[in-house]
Amino acid sequence: MKHQNAWIGLIGILLALLLWLAFFWEPARTSDIDPRTPHTPLPVAEIPTGGDFTLQSPSGAVALADFRGKVVLLYFGYTFCPDVCPTSLAALAQALSALAPGELEKVQGLFISVDPERDTMDVLKIYVPYFHPGITGLSGTPEQLAQVARLYGARYMKQKPDADGLYSVDHSAFTYLIATDGTLVDSLPHGTSPEQIVDKIRTQLKAKTP
Amino acid sequence: MRLPTNCLALLLAATLPCISFAANADLLIDDPYVRLAPPNAPASGAFMLIRNTGKANRQLIKAESPAAKTVELHTHINENGVMKMREVAAINVSAGGQTELKPGSYHIMLIGMKQQLKEGDAIPLTLSFDDGSKKQIIAPVRKLQTTMPAGKGMQHGGMKQ
Repeated sequence: MKHQNAWIGLIGILLALLLWLAFFWEPARTSDIDPRTPHTPLPVAEIPTGGDFTLQSPSGAVALADFRGKVVLLYFGYTFCPDVCPTSLAALAQALSALAPGELEKVQGLFISVDPERDTMDVLKIYVPYFHPGITGLSGTPEQLAQVARLYGARYMKQKPDADGLYSVDHSAFTYLIATDGTLVDSLPHGTSPEQIVDKIRTQLKAKTP
Repeated sequence: MRLPTNCLALLLAATLPCISFAANADLLIDDPYVRLAPPNAPASGAFMLIRNTGKANRQLIKAESPAAKTVELHTHINENGVMKMREVAAINVSAGGQTELKPGSYHIMLIGMKQQLKEGDAIPLTLSFDDGSKKQIIAPVRKLQTTMPAGKGMQHGGMKQ
């Protein structure tokens, strides 16, 4: 056959590759990997530490530390958001409404606006309680917001305004679960059901050490 | 033979639905609704199921409503947990298929409601498609569920709104 030599050559190359793979190739040794670098880097910012912060609410300054002893659910969003934020806030509201009064008084929802230009205290005062009175709207200077977002690994990016000056804000849509001692314990993805949120809250309430 | 003539007539008849530009009978809109937003929310969304029973792919290219200053077509891209809302030029509905406009996905965005929305309000929408056809629909305003529907959640008593 005319192409016999070519075929032999090809087989030879593949065989050589196979031998190299079998005897010489090694996955990176774990000692070669910098132990400080995570194997699967978090897609959103650095590994979040959570932590205390102080922001403005329609009724004055609010610090996370004010809620020690309570389970806190934190969400970053903005009021121009037609879909994602109302969906998340509604899920949170449903979860809060399912708690017994004794449970609800130990839970606090916080909505931090990533759009301080439009989401003034007057706007938040009406928008947030519409979903549930147990959720408080917060905002601050762009620097303060960036700092808090960094603590929780939240990302947001204002988009270019259109001809009418309207713009959307890309943002991560997690609900952050903070234990009664103020530590960040979980990031609930968008779409977590109200029932699941209730379960998580109750787990944290039970975990409270007397 | 008369057969070819009949076939021709049938073929011609079959093309007639495509010729009418007023409304495309192949496109069906199921369960349209506008979501009720907080009283000062500047924007809300209209959702629905668009079914294309025809043989040609169709695209929704525009939506209009007298109830809002601006109406746009949008979708959401979820990139590793970051929600990005983007305006789209068209929403495809393939031949024989369906496309759902639902929260977290495609939606018709209503910006600058001229009157505060109330549950049950009937919002007129005109949908324009790429074949020139238009569809007039009414989307009722539906309340966002903010309390747990009866039967869900643990029964510890005293859990009503």
